[in-house]
Amino acid sequence: MSTGARFSAGKIFPYVLLVVLLLWTLVPIAWMLLSSFKSLTDVLSPTPLLTFKPTLANYIGLVSGGNNVLTYFRSSILAAGISTIIATTLGCFAGYGLARSNFRGKRHLAFWIISTRMAPIAAVILPLFIGFTFLHLINTVWGLIVAYLSFNLPFAIWIMNAFFADLPPGIEEAARVDGASNFQTFWRIALPMTAPGIVTTAILCLVFSWNDYAFAVTFAGPGSQTLPVAASQLITQTGVDWGQLTAIGTVVALPMVIVGLAVRRYLVRGLTLGAVTGE
Amino acid sequence: MRPSNGMTRREFLRITGAGLTGASLPWLAGCGGGSGSSGASAGGSEWKQYSGMTINFISENTAPTSAIAANLTPFKKLTGITVTIQQLELTSLAQRVALDFGSHSGEYHVIYADPYQVMAPLHDGFTDLKQFMNDDSLPAVPKGLGDFIPTQLDAAGRFEGKLFALPYDAPTLIWCYRKDLFEKYRDKMEEDLGFDPMPSDNSTWEQYYKIAKWFNENQDDVPYGTGHQAKQHDALMCDFSNLLWAYGGDYFENGQKVGRFGATDPGSSTLDSPQAIEAARFYNRLIGVAHPGSTSWDWNDLGEAFGAEECAMCPEWHEFAAAWEVGSLKGNIGYAPLPKGPARSSNMYGGTGIGVNKYASEDQQKAAWLFVVWATSPEAQLMDLKSSVGGGTPTRQSVYQMPEVKNNKNPLTNMPNIVTAPAVLKAWEPQNIGLRPKVPSWNQCDTILYSQVSQMLTAGKSPEDAMRDAKKEMDQAVKGVPSAI
Amino acid sequence: MLPALVILAAISILPLLYIIWMSLNNVTLLGGTGISSNWTGLGNWGRMFADPGVWAGWAAMVIYFIGTVGLEMILGLVAALVIHEVVWGKNLAFSLILIPMFIAPVIVGLLGRFLVNPTYGLYAWVLRESGIYSGNILGGSVSAFVAVVLMDVWEWTPLVALITLAGLVSIQPQILEAAKVDGASYWERLRHIVLPSIAGIIIVALLIRSMDALRYFDIIWQATNGGPANATKIIPLRLYESAFRFFHLGYAATIGLLMLAVSILVANLFTGILRQRGLLR
Repeated sequence: MSTGARFSAGKIFPYVLLVVLLLWTLVPIAWMLLSSFKSLTDVLSPTPLLTFKPTLANYIGLVSGGNNVLTYFRSSILAAGISTIIATTLGCFAGYGLARSNFRGKRHLAFWIISTRMAPIAAVILPLFIGFTFLHLINTVWGLIVAYLSFNLPFAIWIMNAFFADLPPGIEEAARVDGASNFQTFWRIALPMTAPGIVTTAILCLVFSWNDYAFAVTFAGPGSQTLPVAASQLITQTGVDWGQLTAIGTVVALPMVIVGLAVRRYLVRGLTLGAVTGE
Repeated sequence: MRPSNGMTRREFLRITGAGLTGASLPWLAGCGGGSGSSGASAGGSEWKQYSGMTINFISENTAPTSAIAANLTPFKKLTGITVTIQQLELTSLAQRVALDFGSHSGEYHVIYADPYQVMAPLHDGFTDLKQFMNDDSLPAVPKGLGDFIPTQLDAAGRFEGKLFALPYDAPTLIWCYRKDLFEKYRDKMEEDLGFDPMPSDNSTWEQYYKIAKWFNENQDDVPYGTGHQAKQHDALMCDFSNLLWAYGGDYFENGQKVGRFGATDPGSSTLDSPQAIEAARFYNRLIGVAHPGSTSWDWNDLGEAFGAEECAMCPEWHEFAAAWEVGSLKGNIGYAPLPKGPARSSNMYGGTGIGVNKYASEDQQKAAWLFVVWATSPEAQLMDLKSSVGGGTPTRQSVYQMPEVKNNKNPLTNMPNIVTAPAVLKAWEPQNIGLRPKVPSWNQCDTILYSQVSQMLTAGKSPEDAMRDAKKEMDQAVKGVPSAI
Repeated sequence: MLPALVILAAISILPLLYIIWMSLNNVTLLGGTGISSNWTGLGNWGRMFADPGVWAGWAAMVIYFIGTVGLEMILGLVAALVIHEVVWGKNLAFSLILIPMFIAPVIVGLLGRFLVNPTYGLYAWVLRESGIYSGNILGGSVSAFVAVVLMDVWEWTPLVALITLAGLVSIQPQILEAAKVDGASYWERLRHIVLPSIAGIIIVALLIRSMDALRYFDIIWQATNGGPANATKIIPLRLYESAFRFFHLGYAATIGLLMLAVSILVANLFTGILRQRGLLR
């Protein structure tokens, strides 16, 4: 163990770096939070104001009038949430199937799966739009859910495949020798062991769906618009309402932060187990 | 934007708007008159035909739409139709409308038809409004088409002979300046510069430049004389075009006619003409003495800067008046048409109309027509004008003549945008209005123009090269040749 | 496995085929009468490879990619190492550092604009008052480029830090203890034990980040709209404009297919490295 002085340079240095890192990360967020409580004149003041008369007007403005932010909130939660649940569930099954299968093209299949996520969004919008119109999915929350599946599903399959591939084979073999069917092996043994991985997958899928703007603008209608679209609506013909925008930024970030913090431990453990051998 | 009394625009509207349009109900319901169709206007029956339907209105986030969105009850009472409004920023709106038309889905029944970015490229997706006007079973346009300001009806409504939209809003670039500062330094400026700096019919762009420079060098009240919306953005094209036209140049041969009536093939670009190059040279000089923030400002940023007293004057959309006329600047801002160049004074028109989606069902289209008529009626425009912040100015001449508007003793308090009326009414005259080309490939031409001018302003490209390259690229664009400019 | 793959195939193969078809036709939405198309064979492809705008977009993309992903990997690694090292406040610091990742790119772009605006921006004010930089940040080509790179780095460094930290946490502490007892310094431990152990994880982070770096343009779109003077107009932004501002969908499809090909190439490169290290099965 190090026997140096308690406050040696070596020990202080990481803390110094940490402070710098925290400042870099938090100053914009703190400023955004602060600005959301300022009146518009204070927000636009040429000298940044640290003391001002706080007001809830921006937040009130978000929930009143024609564009109630709560409806956007609801659409965001539904679209991101349901899509995540579907993607994670299917991802578990498909990931397990893929990990336990043994055919020649397996590696190529895995690569194809993840490469479907690489298509640039603007290019796929038109064919998806035509398809969705045909299926009457336009302007519905379900349309968004399916659209989000297009990038969540491959991601979920890819990551769950890696986790399952990483499990020590011995335990499952033992279960099969004991007479368990394939499904039982999956359900009772493999799945619980990858619980952290499932949580990781779910969180990342949630984040990518929650933050989406391109698909929301294309497929959502008046009843199904999501929060990022609401934020861009604050860009009006005669000004950006920065007060309301910072308020919406806070509203958008907050739930994800809470969710992320709640499952933090699983995130770290999950990524540990599977990520080293990501396929 | 919040006035100092803390009320939001929407709160204000709920209080005043409801009362106002409620009072106008009988007027609208009973009136079928005006020139145009003969009205079988017995009471409100023609309005109630589609009771129970729901129609969708897609719009940019603009003042009239916000005013209407906060107060749809009058329309519901009048017609029984529910309206859902979706507001999107303009590029996203164009995308949605294009997809809607492209797949023939007809989801949006009433469409905010920006003449240049939506109507020109997608004109065949709109219904010719004449068929509704000739239909006796439908309400007619109150006071007839002649009530709309003529240049606006053509520019916002027509494309190659057909009428696709009725004028809905009308932001126009005009000369906005600090009246108080101009008065304070007027004598000194006159002495130093040799002419009266107060904006008048005789002001020229060269004088504008000299005034801007004078402010930079001779006073401390504001950091800079002029500010501009010179970001690589549609705003730059709007700002630059005023100079292009003032110097006698244009995008295409017969540019103003193409701008007013639209054309699928405007011919070859005239951006390499000596006048256009001269305009570019002047614009380069002008931005050289402008507030350095100008090259990253779109109209919003410029509006904020002027409101924060960063510059003494700017060419800006007149509807920003409502946002500025609060607090210490109230009553201290002057508005005038833009200065003259060698050819004329030209004021960029940025108005839009609302139209009907051809791919909606016949009933939906007629219901949409009801909304279009109502939303552009004199009453609706008065309601919008009176909204506390950011209310739009009317596109109908009769509204300007209404006693309530004309004899308003306190315009700055209850309809701030009307103080710009003398300036914009002048700006909308045919010889002063600035109309950019209404051609299907306008989005591409727009991007070409502002990218080239941005290179001139920030990357040292010469005005001649910028204009000549712009011309070359525009010729290709008009022919439909794709490229990733 | 099958139902998931069927859904995936439907969502991805059909559009892909359609996009390939579009790239071989002059597909446009102009006119508003519907999707009109006429066969052009490889015309779009020829035009794309000769289009200076496309090349400029790729050039900007390469620099942007190296700048953002490069900085994110380095800063993410440093952040993970720092959090791993400190004892006091570790959990709180970790939670706070993750926050930017949860804010939509659209909002990050607007927030960035808000912070560097010459009139009221906090960062603009600080830079001006301290004398470091008093120009218009988003008004000059180089400064605007740096600004949008930093906005992207701000948002996505937490993702890299998260993944890297996971790897750090999984290193067997006994090995590190043994090394300390043997007298190895921090840097020696870092170089010879820590980094090799998490090499695989770093590549995973690189892969995940690269996939998205080539597609997202929300931040640039909101902050600079591709300017000034096209300095920040990376290829995905040009793709979006071709498709939905100019309505030349065939041409846009062509650009998109090239982007997809490049992404696959880059991903192949990284997984090849993973495989080489025996970390792939």
